[in-house]
Amino acid sequence: MKLLERRCGREDGWTFIEATLSVVIMAIMVLGLTIVLMAFREQLDRSWAVRVMDQYGNDVMEELTHDLRNATDVTVRPSGSNTSRIDIKYLDPIRHTILLTSRYRADLRNSRIEKDGRALDPQFPPRDMGRGESYEIVQFTLTPYGTDTPNLLERQDSFRRNEKFLNASWDIRFKLRYNRLAIEEGENNWSVEKEYFNRVYVRNMNLVVQNGITE
Amino acid sequence: MRKFKHGLHGDAGSIDFVQVIVGLIIVGAACVGTFQALQFGNNQLNAQMRYRSAISIARSYVEYWQGRIHADSPTMGEMDGNLLTAPGQARNRYLLDRRDPLTDVDDIYCDVRYGKIVAVPNAELGTNKETGKTLTSHFVIRVAVSWIEPSSDKGYQEQNVVEFQGSMVPASF
Repeated sequence: MKLLERRCGREDGWTFIEATLSVVIMAIMVLGLTIVLMAFREQLDRSWAVRVMDQYGNDVMEELTHDLRNATDVTVRPSGSNTSRIDIKYLDPIRHTILLTSRYRADLRNSRIEKDGRALDPQFPPRDMGRGESYEIVQFTLTPYGTDTPNLLERQDSFRRNEKFLNASWDIRFKLRYNRLAIEEGENNWSVEKEYFNRVYVRNMNLVVQNGITE
Repeated sequence: MRKFKHGLHGDAGSIDFVQVIVGLIIVGAACVGTFQALQFGNNQLNAQMRYRSAISIARSYVEYWQGRIHADSPTMGEMDGNLLTAPGQARNRYLLDRRDPLTDVDDIYCDVRYGKIVAVPNAELGTNKETGKTLTSHFVIRVAVSWIEPSSDKGYQEQNVVEFQGSMVPASF
């Protein structure tokens, strides 16, 4: 019985090597976890910011495309730094004899698109951005079909189209950039640029409803 | 007997080395699973962004043909569509997703095709006095945008297709 007690007693506690190994393994695991968590946190923050930007880009495109489809006339003026001021005339939906105007412009200082002097989306850019984060409008233009396109064949095709088609076909290009500047030493600056594109045919420009519906 | 039991259960209040290692392995496996789930979610969100871009491209292509039908009539050859055109021709190829901004190797391009532009007759409109054919009420345009999703765990490349349909009448109608 004493022999049994002594044998069982030797199982108590840890040996020095076991303790050291456990501490070393736990330290390596915690270090690895911390590094991976920090990297993933950075990845998650970037991903979230890109999706916020993407949602805003799509919202702007949808709003402008909708207005253009119902437009009777469009006037585009350059507004500096690769942006345009877009005036869209459309018939009053209630009294079809009156023409109203919507104005779109890019507010480069606040990095947002304005419609009739108001921000299209008051939530953009987000107010709770971290240090070094910023959004930038790189391009906001409305150009006739084939004028500003990376596709060479489209540019060539535009020379074969007639005036009625070219006067009513517009390309919307909206480029946003998200910047994430390095805060601490050893970090790199990071940015991503996304382009949003839509082509709209303003059919009312080639119809008699341009000047109003009186009957 | 009591001493025997006490001897055997003497270290019941502490953890031994093997238990620590097993615990660490379990925690490690749980962490790997969590990160994989986050990665999967991120990939799915990227796929949704590409899908939305493809819809935008398809709609723009339909708008182009609507404009053509309305104001600048297409030729008979153009009315036949370009479904049989070789894939990747510049006219049909559009950038869908740039992905990593530091390299062009992983960019995803989509292929845009349109089917035959079909004239839809309407008997209520009557017939053409010269040809005797039923008059057309409108034209139908069908566009398909296809792209290949980045290689997934499935081991094969997955092709996605978005189809868009629109109709238009010429301004002369």
